[in-house]
Amino acid sequence: MNAKGAVLSADEGMDRAVIEWLKEALKREIFDAVLIPVETPAEDAFAYLLIQNPAILDRASPLPPVMPVQGGKAIGRLTMRGHLNDRVAAVVRPCEARAAIELTKLKQAHLTNLVLITLDCPGVLPLSDYLEDPAAGAARFAEAAAQGDRSPMRPTCQICHRFSLAQAPGADLHIGILRNGDGAAVIVPGSAEGERILEKMEMTEGDEGTRLVAQMLERWSAQVEEVVDAQLERRRQAHAEVQAAVAGADRLLDTFSSCINCHNCQRVCPVCYCRQCYFESTALKLPPDNYLARAASKGALRFAPDTLLFHLGRASHMALSCVSCGACEDACPMDIPVGQVFSLLADRAQDALGYVAGRSLEDPLPLVAYEMEELHDVEQPYIEIYHEQEVQDA
Amino acid sequence: MPEGATSSAFTPKGLRTNQGADETVRQLLRSLLERGDVEAVLALGRTGTGEEGVAYSLFADPDAFAPDGDARPLLPFMPANGGGLLSRLTLGGALVRPVAAVIRPCELRAFIELMKLNQGSLDNVFLISFTCGGVYPLETAVDGGLDEGMRGYWQGMEQGELDAAVRPTCRACQSFIPERADITVALFGEEHLDRQCTLYLNTERGAAFAQGLEGTAVTGGAEHAAIERSRGERDAFREELFAGVDGGMRGLIQTFGRCIGCHACKTVCPICYCQLCHFDSPDCEREPGYYEAELRRKGGLRVPPDTVFFQLGRMSHIALSCVGCGMCTDVCPADIPVSTIFSKVAASAQATFDYKPGRDLEEEIPLRTFREEEFAQVAT
Amino acid sequence: MADQTFSPTIVGFLCNWCTYAAADSAGVARMKMPPSVMVVRVMCSGRVDPLFVLTAFLRGADGVLISGCWPGQCHYKTGNLQARRRTALLTSIFDALELGMSERFRLSWVSSSEAPRFVRVVKAFDREITDLGPSPIQDELFL
Repeated sequence: MNAKGAVLSADEGMDRAVIEWLKEALKREIFDAVLIPVETPAEDAFAYLLIQNPAILDRASPLPPVMPVQGGKAIGRLTMRGHLNDRVAAVVRPCEARAAIELTKLKQAHLTNLVLITLDCPGVLPLSDYLEDPAAGAARFAEAAAQGDRSPMRPTCQICHRFSLAQAPGADLHIGILRNGDGAAVIVPGSAEGERILEKMEMTEGDEGTRLVAQMLERWSAQVEEVVDAQLERRRQAHAEVQAAVAGADRLLDTFSSCINCHNCQRVCPVCYCRQCYFESTALKLPPDNYLARAASKGALRFAPDTLLFHLGRASHMALSCVSCGACEDACPMDIPVGQVFSLLADRAQDALGYVAGRSLEDPLPLVAYEMEELHDVEQPYIEIYHEQEVQDA
Repeated sequence: MPEGATSSAFTPKGLRTNQGADETVRQLLRSLLERGDVEAVLALGRTGTGEEGVAYSLFADPDAFAPDGDARPLLPFMPANGGGLLSRLTLGGALVRPVAAVIRPCELRAFIELMKLNQGSLDNVFLISFTCGGVYPLETAVDGGLDEGMRGYWQGMEQGELDAAVRPTCRACQSFIPERADITVALFGEEHLDRQCTLYLNTERGAAFAQGLEGTAVTGGAEHAAIERSRGERDAFREELFAGVDGGMRGLIQTFGRCIGCHACKTVCPICYCQLCHFDSPDCEREPGYYEAELRRKGGLRVPPDTVFFQLGRMSHIALSCVGCGMCTDVCPADIPVSTIFSKVAASAQATFDYKPGRDLEEEIPLRTFREEEFAQVAT
Repeated sequence: MADQTFSPTIVGFLCNWCTYAAADSAGVARMKMPPSVMVVRVMCSGRVDPLFVLTAFLRGADGVLISGCWPGQCHYKTGNLQARRRTALLTSIFDALELGMSERFRLSWVSSSEAPRFVRVVKAFDREITDLGPSPIQDELFL
């Protein structure tokens, strides 16, 4: 992919620039509809709306301060029964696009006729913080975003390094935001489809313009790279801290001691798509003697049981597809740092199998992409142990 | 008549012990386990080593109810609706040996409703409840704040005053005297709870199980002046709470504007027992054509769709059985006062049929029965 | 003030054995009535799930009509009695939330031999809905 792109002049602010661009694209019939967050009637949150009427776009917000519904989940619900015939532009954050890509590989979403447009993401505020005072929350978010300050954001956002196109390359188009004033933004294609759209939008420049664009792109790339490096270090450190806090049976149990089994985390997770979660199925609904026997053998049985089984089991089901968005932690009524724990587990699991969730539709899902010759370091210890056993038995 | 049911031949007895409420209840439960009268006790208890974790547990070891044991049967906290848990316990089969449960009046009512819906069995379930002063919202326990948060609770209980910090749903609750318990512990508006405790033994088995407790017989019931007064206060608060609900379709849309469709309210609701909720089922998964049609009709629509449909639909399913326990509000990630709205709707629906959920096992849920002559004004 | 050009959309759940037959007769006899009712034939008024009514309203219907056999004459004996209870439940929910939907929701009894009665019911309901105006949530996006 050549470093092509165009400048999005943002004199009236980035939000306005993006919305005008989308309206123009609707007018030129490049898209039939746009999926984008819009402020709710009570002005207390943001919800994804699928919009055909451009007038409604005026109330839209490409980068709202909160993420009540994960955009990947919205895309999944929209296309789970099949792709739309309408051409839809989905304006989402990078982690939401990655979730949509994962869901597509899991056959729970269909990206045909759907264009993913992402933006450089400064993070989102925890939902409960925002709801205390939405107006103040919006102001706090805007200021922090402008300064590249992630401290008021979700814990997972604070350590996120996949907030831009380079580390989340699955989008068709990406809007890169330059820091330090200017108010300028670049729009960069991430795919052939993205390039075609930029051409149709006549956003290719002459020679002078091309040089200017190239300069801005370079500046932007350098800025992003610097932040990515810093974020990677923060991530490494944060994960080490989380591990120290939760590793070991006692500490893990303590972490989840206040869990009330509401399963909010599973419900809001974009990649937990099962209509009926295994952990709510009849498989785990047993005759009373099972529970009473367990209570007798240990002295007591937390009821409803299997709290740790739910969390570890859910991790085993979805860690390979986890995009570390933190929706789970936002939804937990007991403020358990479940997003931070799962983010750690996800990184470890994905690293072990050389996989990055949502990076590309071409990456096969790791659990079904096995090779004859691989992961020998996983089996080798067992080969040695059994070999010893065989020698002994002989 | 199943064991444990109120027998009309049995006269409830009052028993006043010389120990505080907590000690009395712990002693009772400990002796039930030690004597083998019950196999286990479902009660609240502390989990983990910190201060945050509170969960229901099935206690089999009597030592859990020792003064320093993990059990906290009277803790003003509801991590899950105990009635729903009893249903979960007995859904796979009736209990063969007695199990005791210490649950609040609303949890008890939820269990009775669930029995009417064939979601478990009352057999060998020994119910202990108490006159209730409400519970604190879940967020009180976050960051170890529960002990601090409930500091004024027991003083208020003795005076028959509800702590302003308990759930709004609790402050509006009119059904805080348990019905159909084997043993009722009088707590609300009772003096000197730190050194005496009155139990009402409502059934034969209740009386039998309380045999080991020492105390003096008392007459009367759990009702008294403080309870009457509190009723008045709760009624007033209830009116105020319901008046605060944004009316009309506009109000409904505004209130649920920030609903994210997580369905957590449904998951924690004791009455919502369906293994696969209609609103999670394929019936509510929309084809592309649906989205396109709505797009043409209105120019835009919310994704995921059917937010208001889920709320109104769930109301139509459970309003008649809603016991106002307040779990829904507590668990909502968007801070929507679900329980207030559902309680208001439930009050209207239940009044239409002169029905109160959980008060009488023999009273059929209104939509499961009908009469030849009724509601003439409904049809034209 | 009713909009002169407003033509209501009323979803009518008509039971196969009674009301639907009456509606059919009315049609055959060319009895005049407003075209507002979109007929959904159900085998019994007791088949009507409250969720059907909610769906109709939330998808923009101006009015919803359920019509079946008179109590005591239900082809399945007691289906209409259940329908009556469900109607009472729904209206209690609508009223508690002041949704203004009770006025747009009607349960009626029309037997198969009462074609003129069906016409009267439809004309009256159509007039009421016209006076009430279009559904207030027609353009609502945040449903």
